[in-house]
Amino acid sequence: MIEFLSVYAENWASWWPQIAKATGNTILLTVFSFALAVVIGVLLALGKLSRIGLIRGFCTAYIEIARGVPALAILFLIYFGLVPLGIVLDAFVAGFIGLGMSAGGYIAEVFRAGIQAVHKGQREAALATGMTPAMSFRYIILPQAVRIILPPLLNMLIILLKDTSICSLISTPELMLRAKDLAMMSFLPMHLFLLAGLIYFLLAWPLSLVTRRVEAHMRRSLRGA
Amino acid sequence: MGFEKILNLGGPLLLGAVTTVEITLVSLLLAIVIGLGLALLKLSRFKLLHWVIDIYVEVFRGTPVLAQLFIIYFGLAYMGFKVSAFPAAIIGLGLNGGAVLTEVFRAGLGAIHHGQREAALAVGMTPWSSLRYIILPQTWRITLPPLGNYAIALLKDTAVVSAIAAPEIMFYARNLVTSTFETTLIYVLAAALYFCLSFPLARLVERFEKRQSAWQ
Repeated sequence: MIEFLSVYAENWASWWPQIAKATGNTILLTVFSFALAVVIGVLLALGKLSRIGLIRGFCTAYIEIARGVPALAILFLIYFGLVPLGIVLDAFVAGFIGLGMSAGGYIAEVFRAGIQAVHKGQREAALATGMTPAMSFRYIILPQAVRIILPPLLNMLIILLKDTSICSLISTPELMLRAKDLAMMSFLPMHLFLLAGLIYFLLAWPLSLVTRRVEAHMRRSLRGA
Repeated sequence: MGFEKILNLGGPLLLGAVTTVEITLVSLLLAIVIGLGLALLKLSRFKLLHWVIDIYVEVFRGTPVLAQLFIIYFGLAYMGFKVSAFPAAIIGLGLNGGAVLTEVFRAGLGAIHHGQREAALAVGMTPWSSLRYIILPQTWRITLPPLGNYAIALLKDTAVVSAIAAPEIMFYARNLVTSTFETTLIYVLAAALYFCLSFPLARLVERFEKRQSAWQ
């Protein structure tokens, strides 16, 4: 055990700067792909409630495909599959676009479920008191929908954080790729993959504790309402 | 894009799909056994046991499945335990899924009113038969939709095991790309294949969910 740990002490000076930088990239990748996924999710959720059949059909198809295909297949398609068509993307850009497009389908369903969970009488009452549709959405529907949306949205953030690791397979310079490269160079796979796992855990666990608190809080406030 | 070309590329990909389904089914089974077992153990009064199970669940849910696979496949080989790709994939996905399903089954068991068990014991059932005939059938109904959703997630997660060279869809796709250079077509076909597998499953889960909300 001590022998195992001493390997970390010996290599720390050479590993840590690279691992730290890669961890930064993992966080950036998570934030970027989450932001993209939220934008796509909102657009799809609104599109699914649209009165124009074509838009509704497109959004439904997008959501089904995004939810039915592995993120890895989407990443490969974007990073390798577009090259013959003349579209060459940077691995980081391809990574966050792929993850964002994939997660967008899930987030759309989260938003739709949240908005639909607010009783339609709420909207009708808001309109009856003379609010515009936009105002009723902003002041009546949204504040209530957020309570339902927030916990699954935070869960999605945690899932995305862990899923950024698969971007290593299209050579995005993030934590998993760096750990793999260092493991190949030093022939110490166990040490490096455990270290990578620990860092992911240290990033994901606080998030999941926050999510659980928010969940408990929202459940209480919903019961009170 | 000739039709013949699609057929030529589709063959190997379908072969990969068979492995994908095998890996999904076996690791799903492993995950159910681990998840249900640990959820039942969490009903016990041993505090230490709760701790160990909680740590397992938190660790496996808090880290990427790819990291877990790499530790099992590359890490253990370095420690002297060589596990080949297929079993490594099953163990990795199974342990990961076990953590997810422990929570699912725990929630399912928790949703059964304790009066059910008390009534079963009061009419003279043994603790085991009350579990077998009263508690589990009701838990099953509650856990079926989340279990189905997990199965879909697992099916898609199997794509990741191509990274440890388990011969499933993505693995065949990558090999085909290096031999034919039909990059775009191959990855579109691979994505379509996953969709064909997961879409019917998703409709089935939807039916479970509808039926369940009808019960309530």
